[in-house]
Amino acid sequence: MIAVRPGEVYREAVSAALADGWSFAGLHATRGAVRTLLSRPNGEVRLESVDAATSSVPTIVDLAPAAGWDEREAHDLHGVGFAGHEPLRPLADHDVELLRFATPVHGVDPYQVAVGPIHAGVIESGHFRFHVVGDLILHVDARLFYKHRGLERAAEGLRLAGGLPVIARACAGCWVTNAVAYAQACEEALGLEQTTELARVRTILLELERVWNALNDIGAVCAGVGLAAGTSRFAALVDDARSLNARLTGHRFLFGSVAVGGSPLELPEAAILDARETLARIRAESSRAWHALLFNASFMNRMPDVGIVDAEAARTLGVVGPAARAAGVPEDLRTSSPRLAYDGFEPATLRRPVGDVQARLEQRALELLPTLDILDALLERPVAPTSADQGSSAKEVGVGRVESPRGATSCIVERDGDRIGRVRLRTGSYANWPAVAHAAAGNLLPDFPLINKSFELCYACVDR
Amino acid sequence: MLTLLRDLTKLRRSLGLPPAGRPGSLALRHVDCGSCNGCEHELTLVSGPTVDLARFGIGIVASPRHADVLLVTGPVTTRMHGPLLRAYAAMPEPRRVVALGDCALGCDVLGSEAELVGPVEDVLPVDLRIPGCPPTPQQIAEALRLLLDARRPLPSRSW
Repeated sequence: MIAVRPGEVYREAVSAALADGWSFAGLHATRGAVRTLLSRPNGEVRLESVDAATSSVPTIVDLAPAAGWDEREAHDLHGVGFAGHEPLRPLADHDVELLRFATPVHGVDPYQVAVGPIHAGVIESGHFRFHVVGDLILHVDARLFYKHRGLERAAEGLRLAGGLPVIARACAGCWVTNAVAYAQACEEALGLEQTTELARVRTILLELERVWNALNDIGAVCAGVGLAAGTSRFAALVDDARSLNARLTGHRFLFGSVAVGGSPLELPEAAILDARETLARIRAESSRAWHALLFNASFMNRMPDVGIVDAEAARTLGVVGPAARAAGVPEDLRTSSPRLAYDGFEPATLRRPVGDVQARLEQRALELLPTLDILDALLERPVAPTSADQGSSAKEVGVGRVESPRGATSCIVERDGDRIGRVRLRTGSYANWPAVAHAAAGNLLPDFPLINKSFELCYACVDR
Repeated sequence: MLTLLRDLTKLRRSLGLPPAGRPGSLALRHVDCGSCNGCEHELTLVSGPTVDLARFGIGIVASPRHADVLLVTGPVTTRMHGPLLRAYAAMPEPRRVVALGDCALGCDVLGSEAELVGPVEDVLPVDLRIPGCPPTPQQIAEALRLLLDARRPLPSRSW
């Protein structure tokens, strides 16, 4: 049983942990309690739970600003109040007046530009309310959850293995990440232990997902400034990478390739050869395409000093993934993932980690190379179906943590026997959305697409 | 060169062959009603260099006012129901609705009933269904070309 503390004791425990080198990694409401997930750089995690049976629990948003969205979500979707979180603006609840979700902005000549939920292109649904003076952005209120499908609720009551396709469905871009995080959480709860072969298979899939995402994200920045040559070149590479995924697993986004308690994936010798050849070609072609971008002065000159999230802001807001590393916060869950095959992994670091659009773009390009190296090393022999070992004792709650293409993703599974009691998925995109708003303030409105694309966050895996 | 092209066109007509190119064009407006972003990722590649649907006069437009076709993805969440209806209402007639992907067709993993109003055909009259989870760029392109070919001429005015 996880100890459920009274309000003040919980707040003090979180405060002491944060002072002692722990970081906030997520918060969710569950049956009669609110739980805060804390993590340490060595990969250690722990849960601090507070009794939520009474009307409200004390907020921790003043101690960990990264908890802002989590507390607003817990309020809107689970009816928990957070004493001291003022104003507790609606996040998932859209049935409110504008003044309740938008920040009041006063001064000389400010006005609002409302964009979305439907956008002018092939873009996910979400609403941005820009507070501007002329072209200058003073503040952005991002309102997401238009795509909220209630996937976590839909998974409750399902058998643990059957919950995987529901939770992983949160997002096609991070399907493998979400599936592996969920599978790890279930396996921890069931007392199953990873084998080295299972770690190898899952790491191959995670890095295959990272390959097409990196190519996609670089192309997205080109699209953000309307550079057709770069957009097309990287789109062709994305298509190549997804076609390889389909040849290897039968699905372009690798759906169905991850399971709880084992792996169904089979890659015979011919598939391994195909993968190695295709990835070598992607390495050569993406490198040429990247160099063409680097020496395109009119493209590169758009990037510096736009949309800055510096190291201090990144730490305060709890930014994760390439966006954090581009700001000089070298945190990457791949350095502390004993359940995956990342032995000796070191995060790639930029010479100029200043957290602007250029740094985020360069970080993506830089990280593609170690990903291809990892795949090269792991695709050394065929892959056969495999299963986890029956090992340690079972637990009530399991936690899975995986570095997605957009940063740390956590999945918490609370089980009722062999069924799901409660499941929470907190993705890299979820952690980073507040940083997009922070990065946009003080920039020009026409630069917002570029700033937004430099993060290239999913809406789907935030809204779930 | 021009003479040669004109002669070829005459020859084609005199032999009774169908026109070489497809007539017309389609302007698409995409509305995401709660997809997993898979359909969007593949739809983006439909305009990319390998499929390049612009060759057939099919392209994505930035406003429903300019659109012939509303291309809807996702199981239609309660929060996107209103925006979807408003986008449809803003389109000029004649207009077509395409449900793209299994979620829009009400198949497979969707979510909690309380959060959904879909499938798309419960909300709008659907003219074309493109199944798949997600459909590949080639499948999307093939289906949209069918829609272009099947497009009936506008009813003639009879006053």
